[in-house]
Amino acid sequence: MCRRLMPLILCLFLLTVTQSGCWSSKEIEDLALYTGLALDTGKLTKAEQELEEQGVTYSKRDKVTATVQIVPVKTPGMEKKGGPQPLHYLNISGTGDSVFEIFRQYSIRNERPIVGHHLKIIVVSTELLKRQSMEQLMDFVLRDNDIRPSTMVFISQSRAEETLVSKRTDEIPSFHLRDMIQGQKRTSKVMKPVILSELDALMHAKRSYALQNLVTADGETEFTGAAVVKGDTGHWIGTLSQEDTECLSWLTNKSKAGAIKAYDQDNEPMTYEMKDMKSKIKARIDGDDISFDVSIKTEGRLIETWNSSSDADSTEYTEKVEHIFGAKLEKMTEKMMEKLQKEYKADVAGFGDALSIQYPRVWKKVQDHWDDTFSRSKINIKYDLKINDFGSFTE
Amino acid sequence: MFTRTDDRITATQAAVFLNNTVLGAGILTLPRSVSEAVKTPDSWLSVLLGGVIVMAVVTLMVKISQQFPGKTIFQYAGTIVGRVPGAFLCLLLIIYFLIIAGFEIRSLAEVTLFFLLEGTPIWAIILPFIWVGSYLVYGGINAIARVFQIIFPISIMILLICYGFSLRLFDINNLRPVLGSGILPVLSGLKSTVLVYTGCEVVMTLVAFMQQPRQAVKAMLVGIGIPIGLYLLTVVMVIGGVSIDSAITSTWPTIDLIRSFEIPGFLFERMEFPLMVIWLMQMFCNFCSFFFQASLGISQIFRLRVHTVIYLLVPVIFISTMVPKSVNELFSLGDMIGKAGIVLFLLIPLMLSVIWLIRTKGLKQHV
Repeated sequence: MCRRLMPLILCLFLLTVTQSGCWSSKEIEDLALYTGLALDTGKLTKAEQELEEQGVTYSKRDKVTATVQIVPVKTPGMEKKGGPQPLHYLNISGTGDSVFEIFRQYSIRNERPIVGHHLKIIVVSTELLKRQSMEQLMDFVLRDNDIRPSTMVFISQSRAEETLVSKRTDEIPSFHLRDMIQGQKRTSKVMKPVILSELDALMHAKRSYALQNLVTADGETEFTGAAVVKGDTGHWIGTLSQEDTECLSWLTNKSKAGAIKAYDQDNEPMTYEMKDMKSKIKARIDGDDISFDVSIKTEGRLIETWNSSSDADSTEYTEKVEHIFGAKLEKMTEKMMEKLQKEYKADVAGFGDALSIQYPRVWKKVQDHWDDTFSRSKINIKYDLKINDFGSFTE
Repeated sequence: MFTRTDDRITATQAAVFLNNTVLGAGILTLPRSVSEAVKTPDSWLSVLLGGVIVMAVVTLMVKISQQFPGKTIFQYAGTIVGRVPGAFLCLLLIIYFLIIAGFEIRSLAEVTLFFLLEGTPIWAIILPFIWVGSYLVYGGINAIARVFQIIFPISIMILLICYGFSLRLFDINNLRPVLGSGILPVLSGLKSTVLVYTGCEVVMTLVAFMQQPRQAVKAMLVGIGIPIGLYLLTVVMVIGGVSIDSAITSTWPTIDLIRSFEIPGFLFERMEFPLMVIWLMQMFCNFCSFFFQASLGISQIFRLRVHTVIYLLVPVIFISTMVPKSVNELFSLGDMIGKAGIVLFLLIPLMLSVIWLIRTKGLKQHV
């Protein structure tokens, strides 16, 4: 009898243990999910200032201000009718010299612990990137087990916390920013987003790179140009303009979309819509000299012209227009290359990649001081712009 | 008690058995360990080359086992080299199996703790696995092979689906240039690829359990071929997806690859959770296989009842699981297992074959 009963009792006992549920379960209602993280130079918030005046502080240096965006603050249906609609998100900031410590410090002010499983974007201000290197700022983010490597990283020209604020009350700024990258299908001014795992690789390889730049004005945030981060120091060194960014996307084969606007002989604007874009970088080694041959091939249509005297059908006209657009593209690209080679001395356009694939032995010799070598390399660019379509309006 | 007469497995079961013994925690760390050693995008070549070597060794193991039909290494090692040296060799092999069994369970627990169940005590994850494992091992090789047959297609399917989705990150330029620094880096990567193939030694016991030992070579080559293919795919997808620099800096590069994308609107937006949950089963298979080998070895050498040995081994495995104090120690233990593996599974079959050849062909002894 006892032999039969013992296993049964054991099983029942085990059942009661397992039925109580998951050991380390946390109810999602009791957690604060943060979807955006902004890193700025250390500036105490008003609350923090007042707290410090009362002597409430801990040992720290005010190097960085981390702002997290928490959603949702309230469950829907609880709101009162009338009056201004409450915001759907809450931004809280903390200042210190360890991102993790700041995060833990939130817990002495808020009722729910914050978790990073749903972090979508990280915005770093250029001002902070001048003082701290990207490696220092991203260290915690890369180590943490909650934050996913799919998080996108942006740079903000002004204070990064401002990019997490929106005039529109019905949307969450961090989601809005994440969705805005869909614009890259329409314009190459929006760069292919750099995610954390890519950034990790770039930082480990000590390569220079460009990140999408954000600018805020009057409560709205815009994607404008790119910020260049130098590989050997990890500091921000400058920005590329919108047109430079466009050229960069084309040169690195990251985008096939975009428009080129030029002025014709009567100084009237006309616009080219890109349908296809292929660029190729070929390295050439001549003794110790490294040079590059680049070919940029694009096809598209004339989508807009303000000059009514145009005679679209003739091949002569097509050639003339192709020439004007080609010259414009050349001017744009040259301006960008000038900036990269002379001003920033940073290869963010993948010339190093091309060299490392085509001449791995040469690359091994120059990779430690590549940005320097790059700035001295000669780069010949060949342009091939074809218009094969004039749209559905022929006049 | 009655003795089971159905302790035989088919060729398919044997292939799946070998596959589930080899394919385990290695897949999660392989891209990092290989890339660290190779330092060029050629790591996939190391995996392939390592696979070819392992295939040759497996063939050798099968050939020597076929000379002693129905006998495992624990039984025939004594016949070849004498009772005492044979027992010594087998004891080494058993200790090795026990350490790997502990290693597998510990890796399983570390991954679970880090990504899934932060806050659960480690023994609460390890103990149930050991208990369930001993229950399975209690059922003998047939029961184990059947469980493996159920788990195998599920885990492979989930893994392939994950890699399929990760294609959106794939960039062939991350894998170029091929052999940019010559063949030397590839060779230096070999020592870390061999670790992921540890477990091949089970071939020397598996053949004894086959219904038709004549099909052993084919079955075992298929069984080792699948992991080679999957390891190759893993390295190609991870290096191609997140590049060699990211693979080196990441603790669990394969999981980080899967975590690098989200699929809005799909059944699972994040593929790492299904992958990890399913992969836990795969690591459980690993563990059970080594547990079974160790218990079989002890019972055959010391002529003990296998069921008693299983019970006695439970605390031993628990201790072997808890020996590494940190993840870093776990990884260095993994390296040590890899090195021991090279000695054990290159040396034992080679030495046994040579001695056996000398005794039968040279000295015309009847062994």
